[in-house]
Amino acid sequence: MTIRADSPLRDDASRWTLLRSNRKIQAALFLLAFFLLAIVAHPVLQATLWADAPSTYDPATGYDTQIVHPSGPSAEHWLGTDSLGRDVFSMFTYAARFSVTVALAAGVAIGVTSLALGSVAAYRRGWVDGLITHLSDAMVLLPALLAVYVLGVGASSETFGALEVGLSFGVLYGMGPATGAVRAAALGVMAKPFIDAGRQMGAGGLWLVSRHVLPHLVPHAAVQAMIGVTGAVIAEAFLAFRSGVGDDVGFGYLIYEGLTWQELFAGVLATPWWIMIAGATGITLIAAGFYLFGVGLREVYDPRTVGTRR
Amino acid sequence: MREESENRSRVPWFVGFLGRRLIWAFLTLFIYLSVVFLFVQVWVPFNWATPALLGGPEAYQAALESLGLDRPLWERYVEFATGLVQGELGQSFTGAPVVEVLKDTAPVTIFVFAVGALIAYIVGEFLGRVGGWRRGAVAGFSLSTLGVISATIFPPFLVFVAGYFLRDPLLELRSVMGLPNDSLAIWIDAAVEPAEVLLLMAVSLFGAVLAALLLRSYAHRHRLSWLAWLALPVCLAAAAVGIALAGVGTEALDVLYRIDYTTAVATGSPLLVLIGVVLISFGQVLFMMRVGIEDERHEDYVLTARAKGLRETEVRDRHVVRNALAPSLAGSFLAVPTLLAGMIIIELQLEVQGLSSAFFGAVESQDIPLLMGVLVVLGLIGIGLRLITDLAIASLDPRQRRGEL
Repeated sequence: MTIRADSPLRDDASRWTLLRSNRKIQAALFLLAFFLLAIVAHPVLQATLWADAPSTYDPATGYDTQIVHPSGPSAEHWLGTDSLGRDVFSMFTYAARFSVTVALAAGVAIGVTSLALGSVAAYRRGWVDGLITHLSDAMVLLPALLAVYVLGVGASSETFGALEVGLSFGVLYGMGPATGAVRAAALGVMAKPFIDAGRQMGAGGLWLVSRHVLPHLVPHAAVQAMIGVTGAVIAEAFLAFRSGVGDDVGFGYLIYEGLTWQELFAGVLATPWWIMIAGATGITLIAAGFYLFGVGLREVYDPRTVGTRR
Repeated sequence: MREESENRSRVPWFVGFLGRRLIWAFLTLFIYLSVVFLFVQVWVPFNWATPALLGGPEAYQAALESLGLDRPLWERYVEFATGLVQGELGQSFTGAPVVEVLKDTAPVTIFVFAVGALIAYIVGEFLGRVGGWRRGAVAGFSLSTLGVISATIFPPFLVFVAGYFLRDPLLELRSVMGLPNDSLAIWIDAAVEPAEVLLLMAVSLFGAVLAALLLRSYAHRHRLSWLAWLALPVCLAAAAVGIALAGVGTEALDVLYRIDYTTAVATGSPLLVLIGVVLISFGQVLFMMRVGIEDERHEDYVLTARAKGLRETEVRDRHVVRNALAPSLAGSFLAVPTLLAGMIIIELQLEVQGLSSAFFGAVESQDIPLLMGVLVVLGLIGIGLRLITDLAIASLDPRQRRGEL
């Protein structure tokens, strides 16, 4: 028998069971573990397997002098090489760190922004609530991806790297849809009897919010953060794709390379599918990891509050 | 039903509802525009005078002064706001008024996005309906995978794959329909502009959908299921015939199928953009609908409907889906800005002369007024879709009509 998400059995223990048995969360954890492994694997491989030929396997400057580039997958180059002779597998494992950085930064920013605005709105009500709700409704309209592109275009990776992309995307997205959802959940928490009990005890606002409101909102903010992160990963990849600068070899850069080659030599030379597929799979799988995690979390914690339904 | 008879009045419910929502929309739009103004003026690291930096700090200062950018922020804000009220968005870097540039570029984007969003919603809703209702492991897994890929794919890659495989079929389609391979041959001595044709198509599409909805509600009231099924196809066909009768059939087809066949990948085809928009959008709807159905499927009324002897598809479509639709619509709306961004990227890759050409042109030449203009249009598209979504939700759920949403 399965326990329904909104049954009375839903205490913390059964929630944990639901979380663990949720297929989407299992798949998400598998995907994210894969990319963490890739990040760890890169320096390890460079120290061991590739230690003999560091100049061949360097993700930014590597060049294999033995073969013609770009070359398809082979025993020496598991995912082939790109048009400049770099090992695509090395680039892939190296690129994972940028996408994961941007995802974590965006996730934290979305969580913090939406928790702060949503809980303040629900606690204070009145004009503060009105202002925050209207701000959130307005921010929903702003495509954060394009806004981040405007901020990052032309900037170097030092001034506007993965961390900055993630944080600015997170703040913009967090003020929009995420705040709306967290506020709706916070209103539900504020109506609970234990908030009244706390008030009767003479609890102050800060204590009440931080001890009794915020803990209930964290899962809701996490859902929003995970789903929003998808956009941040794509934003970072798009910046790398558009700028086409190879100093930070992100997944977007891999697609840029493949497409550029295709545009130059279409019909003359074979399409280097392996470069583009490596980049596209990287972006989609990382984004899918976070997206599935968010969708799974929502199924467990938030089965009834999708949308505006009360 | 009883509630409605209590406050029976001559004015239909949606007049008051729409009035309230319009006031709300104007307020929200005002806040959105203020946020956009602050974002562009304060956060964006370049302005119109940035190119003058090449000439040294003095030249930059002089440029700031001559452009009026050294005035305090609130003065510029007042200027921007009064300009907006008069429908003025200033001058683009190229010298053309921003409004004119947007008039040339925005219609394609709005039209394709509206049609794409509609198709994506229908597809996603249907798949979510099937996936949420039937608990088959294989169907559920493959639908989830499809949905996740749709929601997370990198748009430029999608465009490449779509162009790679669809370029030749689309060219064949052109020859089958009797269109010349070169679009120029059609437009060079045509009496109409592409934008006019597009406007006509948009208006007739809107009319067809509206007529179909009215027909459907009539069919439901009189229990004519064949009419309900036929309503949308018949109305769309009628609109198509109308366009053909107006004498711009060839031009209308070309607007959709335009392909620059000299390049390696298919470019310039709004139809490909449409396909791309549908592909990146349906996944989010699918998940929203699935969650909605899974929330409803255990309710008591489902048991009652089954006990009544209804068929499974009837239980699903008449009872469960109707309850799951409103939350799924509201949730799907939240994805609209993300999808707009995705669509603009797709347009860029396909070199369609839509809003993306204005946006990327503005960013690359640091053309602040045009950038603001594009963001204003994006906000207008968003708020328009929000109003339509709200209206749809309210027509599904009478509780939403009176109370606050």
